Amino acid sequence: MLSFIVADSLFGPFFRKYFYYYDSYPVVIQIAVFLTAVAISATIIAYLSIIFRRGKGYLTDVRTRKINTFIDNLITDNIIFNEEILAGVPPQDVKLDLEPFQKQVFSQGWVKQALVDRLIYFANSFSGDRNLLFKRLFVELELEKLSFNKLKSFNNSTKILGLVELTSMSVAVADVLILPLTNSRNRKLRSEARIAYIKLSKNDPFKFFDDATEPLLLWDQLELFKIITTTEGLTIPNFARWITYSTNKSIVSFCLKLVVHYNQHAAIPSIVKLLDNKDHYLRVEAIKCLGKLKADDIEEKLIAIYNNQPLNCQIEILKAIGRFSTGKQIQFLRGEFIRTSDFDIKKNAARSLINHGRAAKDIVQNLIDTATADGAIILKHCMNPLIKY
Amino acid sequence: MGNKDTFWHTITYFYENTVFIYGVSLLLVYALLAILSYIGVRRFVGAEKYVDYDKIVGSIDTPGISIIAPAFNESLTIITNVRSLLTLNYPKFEVIIINDGSTDDTLEKMIEEFSLVQVEFAYNEKIFSQPVKRIFKSTDFAYDKLIVVDKVNGKSKADASNAGINCSSFPYFLCTDVDCIIERDTLLKMIKPILDEEEKKIKEVGTPCPECGHVHIKEQYKRVIAVGATLRIANSCEVDSGVITRVRPPKALIPRFQEMEYIRAYVLGKMGWSVINSVPNVSGGLGLFDKEVAIQAGGYDGKSFAEDMDMVTRMCVYMRNNDKDYLIRYIPTTQCWTEGPPSLKVLNRQRTRWGRGLFEVMWMHRKVIFNPNYGRLGLIVFPYTLLFEFFAPIIEASGILYYIYIIITNQINWPYAKILVVFVYFYSVMITTMAILWDQLTFRYYKTWSEVLGLCLMAFLEPIIYHPMIVFFALKGYYNFLTGKKHSWGNMQRQGFGQKPKPIITPPQTT
Repeated sequence: MLSFIVADSLFGPFFRKYFYYYDSYPVVIQIAVFLTAVAISATIIAYLSIIFRRGKGYLTDVRTRKINTFIDNLITDNIIFNEEILAGVPPQDVKLDLEPFQKQVFSQGWVKQALVDRLIYFANSFSGDRNLLFKRLFVELELEKLSFNKLKSFNNSTKILGLVELTSMSVAVADVLILPLTNSRNRKLRSEARIAYIKLSKNDPFKFFDDATEPLLLWDQLELFKIITTTEGLTIPNFARWITYSTNKSIVSFCLKLVVHYNQHAAIPSIVKLLDNKDHYLRVEAIKCLGKLKADDIEEKLIAIYNNQPLNCQIEILKAIGRFSTGKQIQFLRGEFIRTSDFDIKKNAARSLINHGRAAKDIVQNLIDTATADGAIILKHCMNPLIKY
Repeated sequence: MGNKDTFWHTITYFYENTVFIYGVSLLLVYALLAILSYIGVRRFVGAEKYVDYDKIVGSIDTPGISIIAPAFNESLTIITNVRSLLTLNYPKFEVIIINDGSTDDTLEKMIEEFSLVQVEFAYNEKIFSQPVKRIFKSTDFAYDKLIVVDKVNGKSKADASNAGINCSSFPYFLCTDVDCIIERDTLLKMIKPILDEEEKKIKEVGTPCPECGHVHIKEQYKRVIAVGATLRIANSCEVDSGVITRVRPPKALIPRFQEMEYIRAYVLGKMGWSVINSVPNVSGGLGLFDKEVAIQAGGYDGKSFAEDMDMVTRMCVYMRNNDKDYLIRYIPTTQCWTEGPPSLKVLNRQRTRWGRGLFEVMWMHRKVIFNPNYGRLGLIVFPYTLLFEFFAPIIEASGILYYIYIIITNQINWPYAKILVVFVYFYSVMITTMAILWDQLTFRYYKTWSEVLGLCLMAFLEPIIYHPMIVFFALKGYYNFLTGKKHSWGNMQRQGFGQKPKPIITPPQTT
């Protein structure tokens, strides 16, 4: 109601002046006239916005292209074809000529930002000595101050930008600055802060695992996994610590993946404890992990719990037995293949039998000869090297 | 006489007041959608700035995706299209081409080009489809992701898609048309909304059960059951080896109207609904689905005329019936380019089928409408679809008849009538312009000003030229549903991208 009164006070005089009979119109028509005016105004604004955005985009493109070419030339002359680097001088001893990068043009904020972006681009494109030179240049030009200022911003997007810049240029950041951000409610900020913490923390890069209250989303896990496994000089802890004590299921699940990657057999006792966890999704992860670690000591335990498990856990147990390939459970697999009518159980039992190679060769052949037509096709499917899954 | 007067009075009241309220409500819903989609687009663009998809490309833990692409008589373009699908940028995927009983040499061409051999494949018919005759795999390692299924013609894309789902190995499947052009990073972009949610987990519910002694559990996460993305018309785009190299709005009028319509439907409509988790449909042209839920819901209905909307509805119903939380997500970037009907005849057939399909879905799932047990599906998605999608053509058409009647009987108030027409016209223009603006916010797809302007102009022509046709085709579809008239599915005479036009094929598929 209030909005109508406000609208009437704003537009009423206009309509009364130009639409002489406006006041005498029925309410329905008055609303129609009012909404027509809104629609025409909104359409004009939309057109102006399209024109403005395209124009602005075009000008930004032209301007950025121009300045990027200028910056690229400077970088090519001073860093990529740096004479001292070409002569074999270690990057930490190279004397960087900062003067070209301190010209008047770089006093403008957007040009400085363009320089940061280009340095990050080149640092990501080069490895070795030149990569170190780009990072040195970034610090010596005091561009990291810009990034630190961004971290102090109230705007989450700006904070993220600051984190991305510091992470890309491997600038050390105090734990106290990043750690609170690793539990931010903002998903992207949280994710970038965790990545930054792993890459930049000098003390304990995995400390945020202890305090993580917010979930580690699947996408973040993929990103973090990539960072952890590709960052040089990272001290890898025993992930059993979090598998045993963390109350954050996503952290436990992620640690299971890291345990597999780093082949941490010492974590097996902690993982075995997860087999009693009530969350069957976590049990699946644990069984998968044990299978990939080839922890064949727990084969008997897996067989013992098999019948009490839901389908997804049973399938994972069959896969794990196939990965162990100890030969002790061939009869169990054969029995499952014959007994079950479930397609997925049958297929995984068959695949695990075939994984046993020679040890199960006769049994597989016998099953092909005696199984039903469908059963024989499943076996042949699993034996065919052209079929991956 | 008195009764007659009362009747006409009621009709007059209905059209002059109720329909006005209905119309204003519809326009307000569009305005709300415009606001929601703006929020969604901004949120997407903001988040996308910092996403490095390359980090994920090498990951071994990304969930696998099966691409399912039915093909019927696609001999002209099949090789290029399959090659294009095989080059998608994703760490773990397979491409399943279903040759749905083609009568040309589609299959033979694939066998020869990709060195295919017949294999004994364990085909598990979890959802119904026409019998599968043979399954092929390539002996060439370069094509190890390719599976070709040769099946009996099922008279619908849905039936072929079901066969593909039965063959698939991965937990997610992407349904598309074999002649669509898919952007290289589509799988990465479409899996992201799924991976942006928490992992699967459970919570214990209540005290130990007196019957079994265990504490019962409940799944405690929001499962993304489907993800859609924007489709766009490729009719005038430049294509090189299955890749779009230059985006252009279609030059011909009919496809150009469709381009504008697609932008409005996807960027403004579905993106807006996605913000409040009320997406009514994920297009059959490009949709990523959770296989387990799709199978539990019964897969595609081979006899449905709106098989995509029908399956999405059944998936939602399945989740609600099993007390599980679900999400359907949309991304505003264009990931798929499809050839729109180039002529009125083909457009007529397509839209009549859509109209019939909408009626069918409304009828089949009528128990969902206004049913609070189905949450947003029952209280937002279906009521909206019923009132503003299904009834709209009926009310519009009858409204025109009423207008004609009052003109003939000289009962019309011309000044008011003109005001109302101008109001509806400009509101329609505004909504379409907003959609184009939102689209421009996401990505500046068109290179030149004239192309954007050309598309914007369609907003002014659409209410006069295109919209009446669409209303007519929808009503024809309703009529066909009510009379049970046989419908020819047909096979759109694809022109191919950069190919010579195909000869017209007599549609063999009827239901």
